[in-house]
Amino acid sequence: MNYLKTIMVLGKNLLLRFFRDKTALFFTFLFPLIFLFVFGSIFSDSGGASFSVALINNSESEFAAQFVEDSHDNDVLNISDTIDLDEAKEQVGRGELDAIIRLPEDFGQPSGQSPLPRGELTLLYDQSDQQIGQTLSSVLNGVFDEINSELAPSDEPFTVATEQINTANLTQFDYLFSGLVGFSILSLAIFGLSNGLPSDKKTGVLRRLEATPLTAAQLVLATMLVYVVVGLLSVALMYIVGFTVFDATMVGSWVWLLLFILLSIILLLGFGLAIGGWAKNENQASPLANIVAFPMMFLSGVFFPRFLMPDWLQEVSAYIPLTPVVDGVRLIMTEAKTLVDLGPQLLLMGVWTVVIYAIAVRVFRWQ
Amino acid sequence: MIIKVEKLSKKYGEFEAVKNISFEVERGEVFAILGPNGAGKTTTLEMIEALQPIGGGSITLDGHDVSKSPQAVRHVIGIQLQSSNFYTKMKLREQLEMFASFYHVKVDPNELLAKVDLEEKADAYPENLSGGQRQRFSIATALVHQPKVLFLDEPTTGLDPQARRHLWELIRKIKDSGVTVVLTTHYMEEAELLADRIAVMDEGKIIALDRPEILVQNLLDRGFSKEETVKQADLEDVFIDLTGKELRE
Repeated sequence: MNYLKTIMVLGKNLLLRFFRDKTALFFTFLFPLIFLFVFGSIFSDSGGASFSVALINNSESEFAAQFVEDSHDNDVLNISDTIDLDEAKEQVGRGELDAIIRLPEDFGQPSGQSPLPRGELTLLYDQSDQQIGQTLSSVLNGVFDEINSELAPSDEPFTVATEQINTANLTQFDYLFSGLVGFSILSLAIFGLSNGLPSDKKTGVLRRLEATPLTAAQLVLATMLVYVVVGLLSVALMYIVGFTVFDATMVGSWVWLLLFILLSIILLLGFGLAIGGWAKNENQASPLANIVAFPMMFLSGVFFPRFLMPDWLQEVSAYIPLTPVVDGVRLIMTEAKTLVDLGPQLLLMGVWTVVIYAIAVRVFRWQ
Repeated sequence: MIIKVEKLSKKYGEFEAVKNISFEVERGEVFAILGPNGAGKTTTLEMIEALQPIGGGSITLDGHDVSKSPQAVRHVIGIQLQSSNFYTKMKLREQLEMFASFYHVKVDPNELLAKVDLEEKADAYPENLSGGQRQRFSIATALVHQPKVLFLDEPTTGLDPQARRHLWELIRKIKDSGVTVVLTTHYMEEAELLADRIAVMDEGKIIALDRPEILVQNLLDRGFSKEETVKQADLEDVFIDLTGKELRE
């Protein structure tokens, strides 16, 4: 009981101290927001004059080949080379594609009594992106109207069918947002702590604490509490900006999200506590912080999706501690997953948490 | 006897910082360790305080074996380190509350600060204190849990004469309250004024240990005499006479 009370009193006073440090406040709260604004402005702009569509051609007809070629020249259509329908649907789900155009096998083949080629293409778009669906279908109808009027005005051999697919309607921003949340927690944890603790050692503050009955574990836990509070506030700020400025999407439960982010913060803080606790000064801390942080950032899908990596790298990067964090936030926000669904992620995070805190307490040095 | 040091030694690589020293500190006395820089004073002190592993020999403090139960020792001692530093941007009252929580006790920060003449600084940050105030605050943090032994490592180094005298007063008061005080110093005057007994260390060994007046008498008995007779006043007396005894902070 006394053990915990010491942690609470120490944590309370360290937290007060944190909020009196203007530089720390700037880097902690404003820095992630700056990132959010930069990336948000780049990626939230999904509209514009052209649409990214996947063109899946299942037909071998000459007409179909000609249609594909013409589509590439169309200014309004930005054709992606995806061939697989499922993959294309996933990309629509992630907001990377606006829609899919599918040409069936008989597209462009003559059928019935008429010798003229005919066919019906299917436009697949997300059910919540009605506007994109309508615009694209009218664009395609326009194209066909021209062809039809040349071929057989009365017959209208070419038509457009639409099909709505049910993805979570994510913009690219939504995909990026969970990565940015993970990134800001990671930088707070690793860069904040690997700076703070060694500088307290250099000034001899920790040496003075060592002379008291305070234990390393208590100091580590109190510091963790401080940064949990700070981290939650920082993430909350990101969500406020994400939702008010950039129209982020949330389909899952806020309670699960809060719990999951709390666990994520605790996990990632472990790395900062281990580095800062071990390092005697900033010269030891900052290279180590970089060595740990940068591979995590680039391999866990923060800045570019893991599915773009080679298979072996995807396998390896799945076990990096930031990966389940970024995936988990994304799955809760965009696919309404619960903590039960996130069992694999939570298991991996749990293992990492135990390991990293055991290391942090063991390698801690007071000076 | 509250501290018993037996055959204590410490090596840093090949360098023997402390060489097989033994001494005892009596309950309630002021015990001073004198010696030039590098004599092993701080190393000795830090081993007693459980801040450094004991190289060889043993230390018993208030019945606790220091190497076996360092936590028990930490609960009964108060420490002022040579260079005391405290969290910046944390008010003095908050720091005291924090230190008290380490010992699982509650303190009245104002009362404790009043003891060291810093009651009006309760809401100040330690980085805004003068050298003398900082040392007094450092002593306040060492007293939160009413320790039985107080360790002061060169408490007056770098202080002006007024601040030094003020600190001597404080140390006397602490001694009068029954706390055993172990201090290191470079100032002979300080040792003579405050210490009941003095250990002189050099090159890791204790070369003399006795009451200050006996140490002086021993020297005189060996036929020592200064070339000039001691003046009735020295420059420091002049300085104090001119500038007064009030603290300047």
